[in-house]
Amino acid sequence: MTSHLRLRAIVWLAAASVVLTLSAAAQSVKITSEMLEGISARPLGPAAMSGRIAAIDAYAGDRLTIYVGSASGGVWKSANGGITFKPVFDKQTQSIGAVAIDPSNPETVWVGTGESWVRNSVSVGTGVYKTTDGGDNWQALGLVDTEHISRILVHPRDSKTVYVCALGHLWNSNAERGVFRTTDGGQKWEKVLFVNEDTGCSDIAMDPQEPKILYAGMWQARRRPWTFTSGGPGSGLYKSTDGGATWRPVRKGIAVGDLGRIAIAVASSRPNVVYAVVEAKKTALYRSDDLGENWTEINSSGNIQSRPFYFATLAVDPKDFNRVYKPGFMLTVSDDGGKTFSGISIGDAATGPGVHSDHHAIWINPKNTNHLIEGTDGGVYISYDRGSRWRLVGTLPVSQFYHVSYDMDQPYNVYGGLQDNGTWMGPSQHTGGISSRHWRTVGFGDGFWALVDPQDQDLVYVEWQGGKLQRVRRSTLETKNIYPFARQGEPELRFNWNTPIHLSPTQTGALYIGAQYLFRSRDRGESWERVSPDLTTNDPQKLKQEESGGLTTDNSTAENHCTIFAISASPKNASVIWAGTDDGNLQVTRDTGKTWTNMVKGVPGLPPSTWVSSVEAGHFDEGTAYATFDGHTLGDMKTYVYRTRDFGQTWQSLATADVKGYAHVIRQDMVNPTLLFLGTEFGLFVSFDDGANWAQFTGGLPPVAVRDLAIHPREADLIIATHGRGIYVVDDVTPLRKLTPAVIESEVAFLEGQPSVLRIPAGEQRFDGDAEYTAYSPEGDASLNYYLKKRHMFGDLRIDILDAKGAVMYSAPGNRRRGLNRFDWPMRLKPPKAPPATELGGDLFSLIGPLIPEGTYTVRMTKGKDTYTTQVKLVADPRSKHTAEDRTLARQTALKLYQMIERLTFVAESLVDLRDKANARAGQLPKGDPLKARLETFVANLEKLRKTLVSTHEGGGISGEIRLREKILSLYGMVNGYEGRPTQSQLERMTVLEKDLQGASSQFDGVTSSELAGVNSVLEKKKLEPLKLMTLEEWRKKGEKK
Amino acid sequence: MRRTMLTFLVGVLLLCMPAAAQTVDEVISKNIQAHGGPDKLKAVRSMRLSGRMTLGQGLEAPITIEVKRPMQLRMEFTFQGMTAVQAYDGAMGWQIMPFMGKEDPEPLSADDLKEVREQADLEGPLMEYKAKGHQVELMGKETVEGTECYKLKLTRKEGDVSFIFLEADSWLEIRMTARRMVRGNELEIETSLGDYKEVQGLILPHVTEFGRKGSPQKQKISIDKIELNVALDDARFKMPEVKPAGPKPAGTSPPAVF
Repeated sequence: MTSHLRLRAIVWLAAASVVLTLSAAAQSVKITSEMLEGISARPLGPAAMSGRIAAIDAYAGDRLTIYVGSASGGVWKSANGGITFKPVFDKQTQSIGAVAIDPSNPETVWVGTGESWVRNSVSVGTGVYKTTDGGDNWQALGLVDTEHISRILVHPRDSKTVYVCALGHLWNSNAERGVFRTTDGGQKWEKVLFVNEDTGCSDIAMDPQEPKILYAGMWQARRRPWTFTSGGPGSGLYKSTDGGATWRPVRKGIAVGDLGRIAIAVASSRPNVVYAVVEAKKTALYRSDDLGENWTEINSSGNIQSRPFYFATLAVDPKDFNRVYKPGFMLTVSDDGGKTFSGISIGDAATGPGVHSDHHAIWINPKNTNHLIEGTDGGVYISYDRGSRWRLVGTLPVSQFYHVSYDMDQPYNVYGGLQDNGTWMGPSQHTGGISSRHWRTVGFGDGFWALVDPQDQDLVYVEWQGGKLQRVRRSTLETKNIYPFARQGEPELRFNWNTPIHLSPTQTGALYIGAQYLFRSRDRGESWERVSPDLTTNDPQKLKQEESGGLTTDNSTAENHCTIFAISASPKNASVIWAGTDDGNLQVTRDTGKTWTNMVKGVPGLPPSTWVSSVEAGHFDEGTAYATFDGHTLGDMKTYVYRTRDFGQTWQSLATADVKGYAHVIRQDMVNPTLLFLGTEFGLFVSFDDGANWAQFTGGLPPVAVRDLAIHPREADLIIATHGRGIYVVDDVTPLRKLTPAVIESEVAFLEGQPSVLRIPAGEQRFDGDAEYTAYSPEGDASLNYYLKKRHMFGDLRIDILDAKGAVMYSAPGNRRRGLNRFDWPMRLKPPKAPPATELGGDLFSLIGPLIPEGTYTVRMTKGKDTYTTQVKLVADPRSKHTAEDRTLARQTALKLYQMIERLTFVAESLVDLRDKANARAGQLPKGDPLKARLETFVANLEKLRKTLVSTHEGGGISGEIRLREKILSLYGMVNGYEGRPTQSQLERMTVLEKDLQGASSQFDGVTSSELAGVNSVLEKKKLEPLKLMTLEEWRKKGEKK
Repeated sequence: MRRTMLTFLVGVLLLCMPAAAQTVDEVISKNIQAHGGPDKLKAVRSMRLSGRMTLGQGLEAPITIEVKRPMQLRMEFTFQGMTAVQAYDGAMGWQIMPFMGKEDPEPLSADDLKEVREQADLEGPLMEYKAKGHQVELMGKETVEGTECYKLKLTRKEGDVSFIFLEADSWLEIRMTARRMVRGNELEIETSLGDYKEVQGLILPHVTEFGRKGSPQKQKISIDKIELNVALDDARFKMPEVKPAGPKPAGTSPPAVF
């Protein structure tokens, strides 16, 4: 081919591809995140137990500003000393390693992502970020591959010079680790201290008086799924005296042999004093009095030695160089320069349970060193007395759930286990909001799965780490350990840290638990039947948890391996059960456990030994299953998600470029087979076409790790377990089930949801202050869902609700965003029209309209010139104890009183209208005119009557003035606020008030009829406009006009 | 032939390229044009908006807002026939909150006044913003509620910052995020705007929805009617004198709306 021809061909190909792309784009509208944002996930919290905190920094200015870096729930800022917090990092990576406020400019804050407390469940980071406006906007500044950042130091006098202490990859080797320095505010980074690709920086400290002097702890560490190794020849303590340009090891006086993780702190009140906790064969606290040149071992008490990989941090009182704080299992403090330590964070029976164990971060107020802020596995605590007594910050919902389930209560409860915070249950809804006090703890330790017994909702199956399954009675907290043991001649059972339990969807009461074998119980865990051989690889190289830890043994069951991790029994065929293992087997039985086949060979593109993170048997046919695999503990961060339709013979990858993060869980909807939900380390993803395309679900949900998902079968709610931001609920996903390509193509489409429940009217008196996290709970409106292809910009977009006769009962502007919209309708008539007075009458229920009766109504959307309709079904609250007749009577009574209020308003307003006209005429007449006097008397009589109709007493406060208006409004509120039969007294009272209203009305008629004709004839003679009484029609018109 | 093809390709590529960078003043000019143009806006001397405010749980209140140059505002809303007033006469702000039996006007605090004063600018803050002492910065494009928008950062003369999002096709506001310092604390209010309609040559929003940023509870105001250049006595904006103690003359101030 000549070059000329080739060029021509390229041009044609290019043109053809442009045309093809354009036509493909025209063919289908892809569902994107933004199109789904109109339906939002709502957080339930809780903050009752909070979650692991990795880093804290604060600025003690005029007001105390605190930044909290949570292990897996983002960065939170308090501008009020820790009463309330708001998340300020919700578009970025949620795993935080370091937070540093620029001392020269507290609006500038640096965040290092990727927690450095590298336990088995640790997440990963994406580098360094900076804000210069107190957290509103963040700039990503690179070091993307550091994965874990231990600390950031900002030069005390030069905002542009910053040091990043980066641990680097945990599960494999990499080069982007060590100490990095920028001198231009983060544009360019220089790697100033690097040992090797297996060693990173675990801590860094600066001499506050001479910032050119720096100390760094370098740490060699590696995790594998089955073991952890801390320590090695790469570890060491380093010092720089030239602002980090060069470093040399300092070791004089420090233990011989390999070192592990090192923590360093400089005494700012006397910087030649430096403390370091050095992990070694004998881990100890060392002190140097000569700027880190020579070191003396000074303490090796229990808390100093505790879990160096998890607690390597240290702080010196800014005013007292001899006071040293050591966060560890507990918080200990030395007042004698490190010689002795005592525990200060322990509760007692007299004052309360004290603080959560496992301390990772501490901030000491430099202006008042009695004031401490602490970060633990269970949240942030604040002390004002140097640590004797602590207050838990109740507004940090950074709870780290592993799994979630539900019960069938009304409203339903959610259940789930958390990292180091046991197992909790809490309501999905609560009048006035869901607060910490509505949550209950039902399990200990690290919690994982929690399942409610399907036949007895008082029984909950919970577990703690390593398969310690328990059956708890909710009402009494009576607990029975029910996990199986190895039988005679069997090897010891191996349970995963996060041991799977599973309830059979077809055989009520059958409960499964996975060790290396699968077990089933049919008697609530009293006895277990083994239904599989060892389903794992049983690879001796991967059974080393007893050796785990490296220099410091650490065998907490977190490294138990070759275990079953995922179980799913088919809802379509009781004989079909899937089991996935952490060492990469995906087994299926089609004969209830007699024979098992490992189907992982058929999974294309999956590296061997990749952890099966979830398996989901299809809800619609027995051969279909979905599975996710997670290779991150082998250093493989890719998303693996697959589907089979033939019992695992062949698998199709469902991962696309739109999905991010290693995968934890996949769920198939139980109504629409092509609707899939996928949870990964970086968020929730939805597919509407059985996995061909995915969109991240971002409505209300930060990019937090989604560890588990459940769909409530009755409510159609999607329940989301996040590891770092608690539980979220997407109320009623029915509209998502109906989001078909045809809907996406239409300009406007209604998507019918669940029938709307006419919630029992209720309220709760609460004056909680602001220090307790309270999750919003829906107020019980009907949700009308619709799709708009484009944002509505011009003209009306109105939603009207029509009754059976086509009359408009309710009307309001609709939502107008592109994509899905959720419009809330309170299911009440408009508020009653009450006459003017000097006080609000009745209660909250006097201010709002009566509930609309159960039934089906027409919803009409007017969009510009077009109208669209659908139906909405209103049903009674399933909790209601009242008969339909009583509910009807309540509504009819409320409606009658509602009409009485309006009738009174008509009387009162026509009276005022007439009075004002009479007053005006009187004003037009000269003094001494007998008509003037007559009109004035008429006005006075009208006013006298008005005072019996409405409260007229002014001056503020509580006048207690009850007139007819207040009487009717009060009774209306009582009846309107209760959905059952009104009391006999109330019904009788209504009759009395009806008579009073009639009386008032006829009194008004009396006053006017006797006087109006006479007055008018004189007025006419004087060529003045006669007084005219307002008619009901005129009054109504005036009301509509406004 | 080849030449034609190349021209076509270049054309396609140009279409695919991002629109030429806009300056902040160009964007503001497009926005003002989209509202009807500077002349028509300038010609409006006063305005009355009437409609309804919904507050969730079925609570509703009729509302009227009256604005008059220069910088005068009166807003009224009514619950159970009792009318509350907030107003600004260009110098001082005041309110009447009658729900607890007190009908006397009270002056507004400096913090509360900020919000009222902002709304008193009939033509909006972008028009002639420099003369008003505000600063506006174009922050690029951002997707709001699924729709591409120009993001403007408005720093008011008084120092409070708002972000204004203009829908990229129509150049009209669809969202505003205002940050107000109240007693030294940030209060963030997010407002959505929509249902733009023509009123005597002006294109004005007829629905606003607002609430604290991040809160699921929003208040909605839907405007049924906008009247331009209505006669509004300056006295309506001035704080009435506090009446002497004792019973008030009966019903001298029937509510403007109910």
